[in-house]
Amino acid sequence: MLEVVKPGLETSVQDFPGRYGFWEQGFPPSGPFDMWSFRLANLLVGNPPGAAGLEIQFLGPTLAFRRDAVVALTGAAMVPRLDGAPIPQWESLAVPAGGVLETGFARTGARAYLAVAGGIETPPVLGSRATFHMAGIGGMEGHALKAGQRLPLGDAAGAGATGLRVRPTCRPPIPEGRSWRIEVVAGPNDDWIDEEGHRRFLESDWVLQARSNRTGYRLSGPEWRFAARATDKGPEHGEHPSNILDHGYPVGAVNLCGQTPIILVNDGPSAGGFINPYTVPSAAFWKLAQSRPNDVYRFRKVSVGEAQAARREIDALCSESSLEKAGS
Amino acid sequence: MIYDEPRFKLGGDRFVEMELGDELDFDLNFLVHALTARVRAAALDGIVELLPNMASIVVSYDPERIGYDDVVREIGAVFGAMGSLEDVALPSPLYTVPVLYFDPVTRACWEDYCARIAEKEYDPDLMVRLNGLESRAQLARIHSATEYWVAALGFYPGLASLIALDPRCRLTAPKYNPPRTWTPKGALGYGGSVTCLYPARTPGGYQIIGHSPVPVFDLAQRLRAFRDRLALLRPGDRVRFVPVGRDEYDHVAARVEAGDYEHQMAAYAKFSIRDYHAWLATLDMRVRF
Repeated sequence: MLEVVKPGLETSVQDFPGRYGFWEQGFPPSGPFDMWSFRLANLLVGNPPGAAGLEIQFLGPTLAFRRDAVVALTGAAMVPRLDGAPIPQWESLAVPAGGVLETGFARTGARAYLAVAGGIETPPVLGSRATFHMAGIGGMEGHALKAGQRLPLGDAAGAGATGLRVRPTCRPPIPEGRSWRIEVVAGPNDDWIDEEGHRRFLESDWVLQARSNRTGYRLSGPEWRFAARATDKGPEHGEHPSNILDHGYPVGAVNLCGQTPIILVNDGPSAGGFINPYTVPSAAFWKLAQSRPNDVYRFRKVSVGEAQAARREIDALCSESSLEKAGS
Repeated sequence: MIYDEPRFKLGGDRFVEMELGDELDFDLNFLVHALTARVRAAALDGIVELLPNMASIVVSYDPERIGYDDVVREIGAVFGAMGSLEDVALPSPLYTVPVLYFDPVTRACWEDYCARIAEKEYDPDLMVRLNGLESRAQLARIHSATEYWVAALGFYPGLASLIALDPRCRLTAPKYNPPRTWTPKGALGYGGSVTCLYPARTPGGYQIIGHSPVPVFDLAQRLRAFRDRLALLRPGDRVRFVPVGRDEYDHVAARVEAGDYEHQMAAYAKFSIRDYHAWLATLDMRVRF
């Protein structure tokens, strides 16, 4: 059992891939935003890659362990300490019963992942332990962690070798700087934007607004321009050029609300009445997850084949072959 | 317009949006749900989820099990084998939902909006005026004189978009601008030509003209209707609203509170588009209730 001493800014229980099968009823997948770092944390402690762990955002929690445990902290570079002494990340470590783990704040990147051998065993809701706090389901009572809560842990028998680490070349390369290249696939509504609009989207800097979270990433940038389809349409589509008859939203859609693009991410709405000229593919989600307000995005158009190949490369890195003995 | 062939559009590395047409039209939406049912029944390997909406279906797939080209080909083949829509009958459970029109709960919400955000006309009066009706009473009469079709779910868990099956009962309403920061759970909303029951306290933009004590979403699954689901309605279900007075409204609210409310629902009902078209042809379109 794990006791929450300080909850951090917004720390939630997530599992991978999240909640599937209920999208039609309006439940998004949720799950870890940086699926790459999350899976590696689990592999380090001997868990299946999808076992429930903690997603830590910007300011991490302080946790008191009530039993011996093996843990690993991956993702954003934090300032973690165990009983006051600095500890490494991307490495499996033993925590004795009574140990207090402070995860600190994110120095580089935005989201860190804590896996505990045996996984976190909060009750699954609709087949997943992932937290979807907008509807108050999954995770710890449906929401982010609160001080004083006790997280049940699974049976760690047979799991949890210490002294393993992720090879540096197999980790997501979170940059020190503030600029990112984010892959996008054109569509589904690329035919609603004119040539100049596409050029502006792909050749301009886009700044991540502070009002961004696991539901959507709001961007600031140049004015959009629309094709005839956006302006010459039936009244049921709505008045603004970015309005369309209600339709489903892919996860990762660059959803254009008026002039503001919002990238819909893990907890985003499943449907609505705005166009999606581009979609961020799953292999680029770790970049969104690790960027911070005021970071600058440049988008790079890729084909569906390239996007799927990038996904396969990351999947291949989320395996035991990415682990080595610490100190080697 | 319903397209002759579906148009497939890329949605990143694991989604496809299939557009079947380009308008808000009952036959088009029926096609969306008929095709969704066929694709589900075909159980294609690698197809993960289907998200049907007004005129389109978003398909999620596992790129490790099926490629984009194969998604297009396989779903295109299911579409090609559909035959005439006129021959399709879908199961369509019919729910009866009591509503207190022009109730104090939504009125208080409108008053709060006027006080905190912006002055606006009382929602029912705005709808009466924009739809050229005589009175609030006629608005309630028209709104409750038709069955509604669940055309889509989404935006928020349990939120169903309902469209009137009797064309004489189709109303229109603008959306709040700016949107409300909160809407009471159970509020009866109208936006564009879609009506809805708010499943929970959420932001919102539809005009609100009544309130139902009957829940359409229940995370705790207390009532019997939620035993196998969290959201009451599924696409292709139907809803009929019944105007009730304060006594009946309070009675239903008490039953819901006690946990023994039984949703009124005809599970055996089916919907045949041929029969629907034949019924449409018999209507006197001059009647406005």
